Amino acid sequence: MSEVSSTRIGFRDAMVTLAGEREEVVFISTDSILVVRGEPFFEHFPERVIELGISEQNGVGVASGLASSGMVPYICTYAGFLTMRACEQMRTFVSYPNLKVRFVGANGGLHGGNREGVSHQFTEDVGILRGMPNFTILCPADGAQVYEAMLASADIEGPVYIRIGSGREERVFADGTPFEIGKIRVMVDNGNDVALFAHGFVLNRVLEAARLLKEKGIGAKVVEVATIKPLDGEGIASILRATGCAVTIEDHTIINGLGSAIAEVIAEESQGYLVRLGLQDVYGESGFPDELLDAYGMSVHDIVAAATRAMEKKHQ
Amino acid sequence: MMSRLDEVSRALRRDVVEMVYRTKDGHPSPSFSVADIITALYFEIMRIDPANPDWDDRDRFVLSKGHACPILYAALARRGFFAKEELFTLRHLNSILQGHPYAPKTPGLDATTGSLGNGVSVALGMALSAKIRKKAYQVYVIVGDGELGEGMIWEAAMAAAHHKMGNLTVFIDNNNYQSGGMVGKISGPSPIDEKWKAFGWHVQTVDGHDIDAIIAAVKSAHGVTGQPSAIVCKTVKGNGVSFMVGENSWHKRVYTDAEYRVAIEELGGVV
Repeated sequence: MSEVSSTRIGFRDAMVTLAGEREEVVFISTDSILVVRGEPFFEHFPERVIELGISEQNGVGVASGLASSGMVPYICTYAGFLTMRACEQMRTFVSYPNLKVRFVGANGGLHGGNREGVSHQFTEDVGILRGMPNFTILCPADGAQVYEAMLASADIEGPVYIRIGSGREERVFADGTPFEIGKIRVMVDNGNDVALFAHGFVLNRVLEAARLLKEKGIGAKVVEVATIKPLDGEGIASILRATGCAVTIEDHTIINGLGSAIAEVIAEESQGYLVRLGLQDVYGESGFPDELLDAYGMSVHDIVAAATRAMEKKHQ
Repeated sequence: MMSRLDEVSRALRRDVVEMVYRTKDGHPSPSFSVADIITALYFEIMRIDPANPDWDDRDRFVLSKGHACPILYAALARRGFFAKEELFTLRHLNSILQGHPYAPKTPGLDATTGSLGNGVSVALGMALSAKIRKKAYQVYVIVGDGELGEGMIWEAAMAAAHHKMGNLTVFIDNNNYQSGGMVGKISGPSPIDEKWKAFGWHVQTVDGHDIDAIIAAVKSAHGVTGQPSAIVCKTVKGNGVSFMVGENSWHKRVYTDAEYRVAIEELGGVV
């Protein structure tokens, strides 16, 4: 039986920890503090919650002003309301002057947005931010990892984006497992037949697929790429040199996200054959999280089939 | 007889003429409509220290209509934040003076701007930081009247009043022109004062070329606590040079040799 964790609670708990240690930490809410069950933060640090109402562009502008005058603001709301509605504010007023603002985007992916449907399912956020210099982009896999990623990124001087979900993510890592920024993590190493690169709330599925592949006599490596930027290009290239083929699995459009990042490494630093799983240049729809991932090509079966396909390409 | 601050304001305008003429780029007439506000702020009102531009207790200024930055750069140079010769590198490669304000490169510049509509939010963030950290500094912003078409201005206006930001003052540069022509023909911000009042702000209206009146209005705004202040400045785009007034092409235009001479002379300078 799988265990549910919550990326939203992971974020909230890390906020309480960070605010206790650092007086410059503030929480910007655009009527979003209840989204992350933020009541404990509000109870402990009422003077460090800045409620701005439903105004995300204003929220990012305010974050810019705070960060340029001694504070470290964390702004958390739905991923697309930050990366799309306030995209220009994130770029020109935070990324360009390289300010210490933290963005936490909820409802990442189909899994994150699930029954809300497309307006609240964000499958382009990572790709939008990859093009902005100075950003650190983190996609932790579960609640405990979000907590660790928040702490691990606390001292980064420039802007940071952390992708979270709906608050119902399957636990992948044991509590206290460190989150290392900028490094890939080989979670399973069953051989050199194929590499499975993934991040976020599909990692549990990838682990299951690796197990099924092993039963079929196929040795897969499961590689978590939780830091999309700065990308561990050398680590990825060394995996690819060993396997010669790979599958990427991301709850995001296959354009500009993890799949594109791995393709860039293959093109520039290595060689190999790639199959990209994720949204195939389409929008999602309302549904239950696991149902949606299955319906949009990210089932365990799809991952196994994609691994086989990648190996066939390699051997052609 | 012209006051000390009026002399400063004319000198800043001359610097802008010189910058645009020599570097062959920049926005002269939007600079001139805010010249007297900038002079009041940088040469009388603001507590700043050119020897210590990052002084944490300094007053802050945000030029939301960032394209008017030549006049701000001129003020920073004349206050001693950097050498005057830097002015003539404007918009050139490796300059500390970008086409629109970029704080990390320019000593004394508090905010990166240029894309319209963002400055009040940035200033609100600075003002909130003062409130949380119990600092006494003031935050000033200049927005254009055409810029009031940006919805984000009103998001910030609503939030600033809600948070009772008595340390925040917005100047509206009401010159009645925007890039494409008369504001009243392109968009409908009027009545500007009533709008800010309705959003919960303390509102005054002044002649934006009367430096004493601007200073008096700011002092009056300082006396208002628990409420942000808006000062609607009635201004003239291109004010100070006769051939620029009423001719909106000077929003962004380069002086010919003859125009340069006339402009400098009208501003009390010698070519």
